[in-house]
Amino acid sequence: MSIDSQHVLTRPGRASPVVVSRRNQFNEWLDQHSGRLFIAPAVILILLFSIFPTIASLVIAVSRVRLSADGFKFRFVGLQNFTKLFFGNDQIHFLGRFTEMSVIGWVLIIATSVWCARWLWRQWQAGFGVIGFIGRLITISALIGLAVVLAGTTLSGNQWGTLGTTMFYVVVGIAVQFGIGLGLAILCSQQIAGKNFFRVVFFIPMMITPLGVGYAFRMVADPTVGPFAPVWKWVGLGTFAWASDPWTARIFIIIGDSWQWIPFIFIVMLAALENVPRDHVEAAQVDGASASQIFREITWPAIIPVAATVLLIRSIEAFKIVDLPNIMTSGGPGIATESMTLQALFAWRSNDFGSSAAVAYLLLFLTVVLCASFFNFVVLKHIRKEQGA
Amino acid sequence: MSDTSPLRPLPMRGLAQRLFEPPSVGRMAPGTAILVYLVLAIWTAFVVFPLYWVFITSFKLPQSVSEGPFYLPFVDFQPSLHAWNDLIIKDWEDTLRAFINSVVIAVGATALAVTIGSMAAYGLARIQYKPKFGSIMVFVVVLLGSVAVTTLSGLDWKIVFAVAFALFVLLVRALSRFFIRRLGNGDILFWMISQRILPAIVVIIPVYMMFQSMGLVDTHIGLIIAYAVTNLPIVVWLMHDFFAGIPQELEESAQLDGASRLFIFWDIVLPLTRPGLAATTLLTMILCWNEYLLAVFLSTSQAQTMPILVAAMNAGDRGILWWTMCVVIVVMIVPVVLMAVLLQRFIAKGVLTGAVKG
Amino acid sequence: MIKTTPLLAGALCALTMAGSSLVYAQDKPFEGVTVNVMTRPGEVIARRLAERGVEFEAMTGAKIVVNEVPFAELFQKVQTDWSTGTNSIDVGVIAAGWAVELDASGLIEDLSAYVAADPLINVDDIAPYFREVNQKIGGATKLITVDGDFQMVYYRDDVLTAAGLTAPDTWEEYLANAKAVNGQDMNGDGEPDFGSCIFKKRNAQSYFAISTVAAGAVQSGGTAEGLFFDLTTMKPKINNAAWKAAFELYKATGEFGPPDEMNQDVGDTRALVKAGRCAQTIDWGDIGPLSIADDATAIKDKMFAVMNPGWTSVLDQATGAMVACDATTCPNAINGVNHSPFGAFGGWAGVISAGSDQKVKDAAYGFLSYMNQAAQSNVDVTIGWTGYNPYRNSQLDDTKLWVDAGFSEMAAVNYLGAIKASLNNPNMSSDLRIPGAQQYSGVILDTELARYLAGEITVDEALANIETGWEEVTEDFGRESQLGLYTKSLGATNK
Repeated sequence: MSIDSQHVLTRPGRASPVVVSRRNQFNEWLDQHSGRLFIAPAVILILLFSIFPTIASLVIAVSRVRLSADGFKFRFVGLQNFTKLFFGNDQIHFLGRFTEMSVIGWVLIIATSVWCARWLWRQWQAGFGVIGFIGRLITISALIGLAVVLAGTTLSGNQWGTLGTTMFYVVVGIAVQFGIGLGLAILCSQQIAGKNFFRVVFFIPMMITPLGVGYAFRMVADPTVGPFAPVWKWVGLGTFAWASDPWTARIFIIIGDSWQWIPFIFIVMLAALENVPRDHVEAAQVDGASASQIFREITWPAIIPVAATVLLIRSIEAFKIVDLPNIMTSGGPGIATESMTLQALFAWRSNDFGSSAAVAYLLLFLTVVLCASFFNFVVLKHIRKEQGA
Repeated sequence: MSDTSPLRPLPMRGLAQRLFEPPSVGRMAPGTAILVYLVLAIWTAFVVFPLYWVFITSFKLPQSVSEGPFYLPFVDFQPSLHAWNDLIIKDWEDTLRAFINSVVIAVGATALAVTIGSMAAYGLARIQYKPKFGSIMVFVVVLLGSVAVTTLSGLDWKIVFAVAFALFVLLVRALSRFFIRRLGNGDILFWMISQRILPAIVVIIPVYMMFQSMGLVDTHIGLIIAYAVTNLPIVVWLMHDFFAGIPQELEESAQLDGASRLFIFWDIVLPLTRPGLAATTLLTMILCWNEYLLAVFLSTSQAQTMPILVAAMNAGDRGILWWTMCVVIVVMIVPVVLMAVLLQRFIAKGVLTGAVKG
Repeated sequence: MIKTTPLLAGALCALTMAGSSLVYAQDKPFEGVTVNVMTRPGEVIARRLAERGVEFEAMTGAKIVVNEVPFAELFQKVQTDWSTGTNSIDVGVIAAGWAVELDASGLIEDLSAYVAADPLINVDDIAPYFREVNQKIGGATKLITVDGDFQMVYYRDDVLTAAGLTAPDTWEEYLANAKAVNGQDMNGDGEPDFGSCIFKKRNAQSYFAISTVAAGAVQSGGTAEGLFFDLTTMKPKINNAAWKAAFELYKATGEFGPPDEMNQDVGDTRALVKAGRCAQTIDWGDIGPLSIADDATAIKDKMFAVMNPGWTSVLDQATGAMVACDATTCPNAINGVNHSPFGAFGGWAGVISAGSDQKVKDAAYGFLSYMNQAAQSNVDVTIGWTGYNPYRNSQLDDTKLWVDAGFSEMAAVNYLGAIKASLNNPNMSSDLRIPGAQQYSGVILDTELARYLAGEITVDEALANIETGWEEVTEDFGRESQLGLYTKSLGATNK
């Protein structure tokens, strides 16, 4: 126990003899209502300033919005803004282009469906609950939907739309960022010299405004006047522009995104690692356990809850990726690097508020379903297993 | 690396052992150390290089940028202070105003978000809340209905919301005994974080209209509230984890001494989570300091912040004023680095306090 | 409505204006009035407004506050401010094309009466396209131009002459020139430079460039014929051989351009042009004054301008095919080539909020007029950093202003000649100036063009998609009203 906590522990004892009765009453009142008092300001603030705009934008998503001299005018159009994205003129833009389904595509769809069915069957056997069942159904439909989109587009030789690009940024980006961030945190949690130096330096990219990161990477990656231009020329890529090829453009955006966000994962995971009780680790080392064993058996279970929080916060931000593709490529070449948020931004800039809100609501749905599923069915299960073990 | 297999040939094993097996518990073998430092050095270069490029670009003349690349000041290009001069001497009024606005808004919003957010996080970590699922549904339906009515029919929002409020109270009273299912703290937590999911772009118009009717557009208070609300979820989530990690025994013994919850929170728990508090404060501060979209729409001139200056340096048809933009970016990093170094003390101290947990 | 109200308002304004303009110097008629102007940030456009604002305050007492907002957010800011009744802004100095959307919502003030009563503005000196088309919406003057914008082609006279080539008269020649000189070192740094630099970045301004390329192939019957829609049915005039030829040519120029041209906005190509790396480019008038700036020594007196190149065959509206130019198909052709200078963007112009106080409106008009008057404007347009391009005949007739600013006599004659030829071309084409313009061109045309350039879709798919997309927008705003507004926006012919 640290000095700090012993010190504060003595305080209540010091304070209690001088409590007067009126103050006592007040304290009692406070105590009775403390539960509400703790949470009320946050809930009220969120209800006032967050729920209202969220619901208002839902109304925008089912309307056509026009401006007039006395404010915004709404005209109800039902689900038109949504159907346009799935079946109408914006289908290619949002989902991608569909032609013949390839064999790999069918394999993926069938594999996903079988896996989902098996999963559902297992849950059924383990015990049935209405809410849980509905939750799983939603998860499954989202998963199969994504599988169909992936199978029908990229796996069949077609281009995917903003949905695919967004998922690419989220899945690949977070995997890279979490891997590298955790790796660096592990290295820095060792007893090395200059720990504080690395800690501060590695954290700096997070401090830069996302716009600034976008522009900085555009400068650094410039193929003609950027610092690596001579390198490109030297390896014979002088006429190759990364921004003109869909995959290199996406990869450059992931690099920029990772540069900015690895620090976040790094700093939180480092804090978590340093909170892992050192005596446990040392005891295991004395017992002759290998480094990987120690990590698996002691460190990882201890840092899982923090890792889960970090992943959740990071994935919510990752689904909203907009500044980097907007600044580095404006969504180009074609629509190859356009994320859903960027699609919403472009629609919004052209006064097409309805389409913009519709895209954003689909993003909200996707994020909630995937994040909630991931946490309910993967992370929580894992945590229970670890804690049980 | 250090779990060398015993099956390897002996001489190799000897070398590998010397290089990669720790000489004593808790120390690194020289080979491992070299690898570790190599990785850290590479990463440092990756992190620092773009920053270096931004920094030297802030001293470049337009020609040095467009005829580039040039790497070393004084060696392959002649640095110039013209961009710094433009921003800090010529336009000092605009820059200073934006800077002060940024400081006021970031500090205000962080203070508000961290205070309110830690309280909520503490509540959620220690007290069981059981809101009725049905009441919430009624609330959402009534609110949705009233928003729809206001926007689509054009009735005065004050009347609609007054009616909606009355309707809500009546409905909740009338239907309350049918509501059995209750939500838990986990649901509240997820609800809060889900407030961050919607991209800011779609809530801009409703938020603008709301702020406009309250007279909050282009004011510091307006942006402080907006930032506090958007960052509240993150504060609640991070602080919740830190509070959950504090042993309950301390609070229980204080409670036996007759201390109130608020007192326990303020005088016992908060000081214990100082490192977490410092980290959360730093993160919130960074997010507020760097936010662009809300800033540009909720300000006209009086409350414009620094990120708007960054975007302003993209002059569209005149290209991007890289040099001045880099100056703004550099100027924006400095206070945050200072903050980080200041708070580092608390964060580092926190590592010791963390031992309480074990 | 147009007939009666202006008479009354005109009479009233004539009284106030006549009084005030005469006594400007004596008793500061707008003492205590503050005019909030919103425009884009930085030196370009904004700085001159602020400087002239100080002068104007000294003369009239009206305080001019220039608020700067990033370019990408400017239109939305002005629109939201006025539409929700916040009204913290009195004057928006914005792209002329954007004003149509504001006007459709009834947000901007009709300035006809002010102009009629203004003894100093001398509108007859303003080039006809800007006076009759760009400043007017539905026949009423609602904007005051501070900057005249349309696109021209610029070429390196030294490079083309050395290669035995001439200024491009048609787009085929442009492409041939680009091919011939691409890869030469044009600025003496030992590196191969480019035959053509045309910005092709998505969500930037490439839809202006493609319209410039297409204009001469699509529009042959004069300004009132329009570039984008059929004037009887409002059907898009896009899915046809003329636009197809333009799309293909635009893409083909990329072969002789910088490698990352697809990620370059006009600012990026301008930097290359100034560094002497491009033999030909499309640009607004800005290149002229920019070529005499300190950082453009590589192109000083070498970058010549020419009216937008044309096509020798043009669109036959009935069949959608292209037919060779003759006296009937191309009444405005010059030497058998149909030119159509494209009024891209329309230039920066001031609009006044309908919701401002009368006194503020008066002061705001006074300020915009002051910016527009020859005494101020003829100096401002010769300075590169102001971003103001010429739009008055008096700016074009006299080379002295330009030689004083640093042009050589020859360069000034060439530059002004190209502008004059463009502005006086009866077949000048107008940018899309109807509600939803940003959706039509800024999003739909731009996105499909980008996808075609990236090789995601074929040109036929791109044009078909644009047609479908445009029809959707038209339906959404109402075909009849869009048709009416479109016809009106082309209303006055260019005489």
